[in-house]
Amino acid sequence: MSSPPLFLVLVSGEHEKIQMAGMMASVAAVSERPVQVFVSMNAIYAFRKDADPDTRYQGGEFSKLMKEKNAPDAVTLFEQGKMLGEMKIHPCSMAMDITGWSEADLVEDLFDEPLGLTKFLADAETGQLVVL
Amino acid sequence: MSQRKTIDARGAFCPGPLMELIAALKLVEIGDEIEVLSTDKEQDGQWSIVVRKAK
Repeated sequence: MSSPPLFLVLVSGEHEKIQMAGMMASVAAVSERPVQVFVSMNAIYAFRKDADPDTRYQGGEFSKLMKEKNAPDAVTLFEQGKMLGEMKIHPCSMAMDITGWSEADLVEDLFDEPLGLTKFLADAETGQLVVL
Repeated sequence: MSQRKTIDARGAFCPGPLMELIAALKLVEIGDEIEVLSTDKEQDGQWSIVVRKAK
């Protein structure tokens, strides 16, 4: 029996939340659970192309510790999930409109096409949705 | 001839050891084995498991 797909909505730019999302996405993807990620609001800034890994996230106490102890970078976790499992990651079209960004402004070789919330929610009816 | 490969993921944070295992599994032949070493507080500081690629 195949597991219902996991749908993640990333809203916050907080390092701790994006890190957890990256962990969930990569673990689910390699555990043969399809994953779809929708990135919007402040979370989109963490995925800006050429952003410095040290400053790309807004973080608190735990973020400092993760950097100190060299926990894997969250964006790298999404890349691994995509490479090793069935994962799609879409920038929110509204976030792209508001920032004025194009796909060239996002981390290379990670993103699928921009998606509207309506389509993402319709797809998510078949699985479990988590918002971070 | 099946082979065994060892991945030393000691010291890696979640989900490092799992990612390294899955990445390695993609590259080996069916029947090959992979041993993963991971840091563990309970058993002499390390834990290991051997998996065989079945399909």
